Amino acid sequence: MYRYDTLDKEFLADRALEFRQQVARRLAGEITEDQFKPIRLMNGLYLQLHAYMLRIAIPYGTLTSTKLRKLAYIARTYDKGYGHFTTRTNLQLHWIKLKDAPEILDHLAEVEMHSMQTSGNVIRNITADPYAGATADELDDPRVWSEAIRQWSTLHPEFSFLPRKFKIAVTAAAKDRAATRIYDIGLAMRRGRDGELGFEVMVGGGLGRTPYLAATIREFLPTRHLLSYLEAILRVYNRHGRRDNIWKARIKVLVASLGAEEFARQVEEEWGKSDHSRVDLPDHELARIRASFAGTFETLPAASETLEARKAADPAFARFLRRNVHPHKAPGYAIVDISLKEPGETPGDITSEQMEVVADLGQRYSQDEIRVNYQQNLLLPHVKLEDLPAVYDALAAARLATPNIDLVSDIIACPGLDYCALANARAIPVAQQIAERFADPALAEEVGELRVKISGCINACGHHHVGNIGILGVDKKGEEFYQVTLGGSGEGDAALGQMLGPALPAAKVAEAVEQIVGVYLRERKDDERFLDTYRRTGVAPFKEAVYAEAH
Amino acid sequence: MPKLIKLHQGQASLANDRFTQVADEEPLPGGDVIISLTRFQAEGDRLLSEGRAVGVRVEAGEEIEGLVYDLPRVAVVALAFPKFRDGRHYTNARLLRERFDYRGEVRAVGDVLREQAMFMVRCGFDAFEPADDSGPDEWLAATRRFTHVYQRAADTREPAFVARAE
Amino acid sequence: MKALTGNRLTDGEVVFWKAGAWVERFADADLFDDAAAAEAAEADAKAQRTVVVDPYLIDLVESSGLWAPLSFRERVRALGPTNHPHHGKQAEGGSAIEALQNAAGAARSSGRVKLIKR
Repeated sequence: MYRYDTLDKEFLADRALEFRQQVARRLAGEITEDQFKPIRLMNGLYLQLHAYMLRIAIPYGTLTSTKLRKLAYIARTYDKGYGHFTTRTNLQLHWIKLKDAPEILDHLAEVEMHSMQTSGNVIRNITADPYAGATADELDDPRVWSEAIRQWSTLHPEFSFLPRKFKIAVTAAAKDRAATRIYDIGLAMRRGRDGELGFEVMVGGGLGRTPYLAATIREFLPTRHLLSYLEAILRVYNRHGRRDNIWKARIKVLVASLGAEEFARQVEEEWGKSDHSRVDLPDHELARIRASFAGTFETLPAASETLEARKAADPAFARFLRRNVHPHKAPGYAIVDISLKEPGETPGDITSEQMEVVADLGQRYSQDEIRVNYQQNLLLPHVKLEDLPAVYDALAAARLATPNIDLVSDIIACPGLDYCALANARAIPVAQQIAERFADPALAEEVGELRVKISGCINACGHHHVGNIGILGVDKKGEEFYQVTLGGSGEGDAALGQMLGPALPAAKVAEAVEQIVGVYLRERKDDERFLDTYRRTGVAPFKEAVYAEAH
Repeated sequence: MPKLIKLHQGQASLANDRFTQVADEEPLPGGDVIISLTRFQAEGDRLLSEGRAVGVRVEAGEEIEGLVYDLPRVAVVALAFPKFRDGRHYTNARLLRERFDYRGEVRAVGDVLREQAMFMVRCGFDAFEPADDSGPDEWLAATRRFTHVYQRAADTREPAFVARAE
Repeated sequence: MKALTGNRLTDGEVVFWKAGAWVERFADADLFDDAAAAEAAEADAKAQRTVVVDPYLIDLVESSGLWAPLSFRERVRALGPTNHPHHGKQAEGGSAIEALQNAAGAARSSGRVKLIKR
């Protein structure tokens, strides 16, 4: 875990003080709302339907117990005792008062946290593989590079007024757990022929009104040149990205209109003219960052008798192991996914009490590390096998042991019209209704891997385009309707979903999902996932089932 | 007449502007002028031959490369911000300073607010016409708000990764 | 019929115009059946720059003898989030809240496009 040094801490203190003064100027009437709005947005403070919303950055999804306890404290003291994790692995607090915001930023700064660059047309908080440092399938620790990018992008003087927001995701593993293809820049580490490490650089992915999967503009960029190459990409975008139309301002539109080849040519040309040594981090700084992520693991047996005994005796625990526990690179350890998707609850929501439970478990059993992933769940990356029963019991007591990771009830949903000023329709109640239909864990497990993703508007914070089942809320003459897409995927086999048919009224959505699942169960061969079956059969049988009554 | 703040050796002060900024449709007055890139390309040679100092106003959508050949003869490059959110001139300023080695005045004009001061100074601007009510003191304070920076730019500030190694 | 609403600057609370000041309950809001009076109030409200953020008029619809915000979005603002019945204004309960919760005839939300513009 990266620890702030004096310099990082002073930087945050400067930022908190700056915002305190800006809020005071606004409250005193010295600046107008028009002038203040971009300032508060640069500090992650939105004005939503019921109150201000503060979006707190969780850099590449990593937390310590101290940080998570502070978030619990802030949620309890300044909000209604809960928070909402987003698909960008940030935490949103939905009931914040402007007058409290400076104090909250001071609290955050105490634990090396902030809300900078969680909004606005800047390089946003970096996303990375949540299994970083714990999985056997990675070439390197992506947090090292994520932290390098975090620092480089922080108040970057040239790139703080981009045409539009800019998001970067980093993975160093074979399996893409960071959805890199739907990012403005996706970085996936590869090993070169001579053994050197580099990044495949993908540019121009993004969802929203016009979804694109990112195109590879460079197969192999030596890791040491990462920052200078990013600077070249951002420079081409800052100069040539569209600024006349908010819906065409993302880099994906520039890449699509120029063509990936021409865009790549311009980036290479710009990169060729720049002095890389002024931008790329020197070895000593990379080594300093790297040292902070070095994990040490005990030599343990690869199996635990305690664990096996409990597993044999307790089917619920066995199911939790099957669904939520994943192999670790070190023998005798495991990665534990914590579902924030208990059927009936709001996806991604967590109470202050639950945060404290997870913080305690992280501190005691997971080397003081807690992660957030884009599925709006948490995870404990380094748990000893022999500790799993204790971890499970504590999670279960806090209603955090729902065994549904990647299953149909593990639904991604944005806050939607219940909170968000941009939404057209609600997302949360739809998620709740679907999850409740699959609340029986045996049923959910029988259905298997199935990613349902719901957005309350075309901005696609709920990633609906890449849901195996994607659901998009639309406003039809004041009524909430939902467009359903099938076959999307945000992973290694990334694909955009295809429209099922006309939008459905709110009351019909959960039933439609049940019908879609019914078709899948009827059609599936062997151990096909939903996505495999869909790709084999196409949309027709699903369409027929959902719209049968209309014929 | 807009207020002109100049930064020199770490100090900010109000400056008398010896340049007249002339729109394309206006007749040229005598003395030193700042004119558009288009007008400069048509009339620059003649004006310079008259012994006046000439500045060029570059719009956000114009390619700064179009001015490179003439830079040694240009006294001021005025980069015009149509909206403060339009960030293209941050790149242009850096290119002027770092790639084209321009040593004359780089002035921010248009929608220029003190919230941008630090970014502008870091990208190589040294003269400002603020559209808000900020004076030299506020402007200077805004450029000094952060003790540390994380990356190299067109200024001489030492980035964190260098400071840490010392 | 219209009402005038906005969010209070200091805490973001949803507020409604009542005789030159702001109240937290929709039930207490001034209702305008005269367009000129509504616009005059809106202009006054916009001048209160350190009190309220971006005030705007909303359309109302009659439902069982009660005026309710026409758009679903404005009903959510007047009540609170539907996933947390104890959060927001609905927590207070009572007949006015219940009536609003049961109001029929939500129709296309108006004026929101403005909010998306940057």
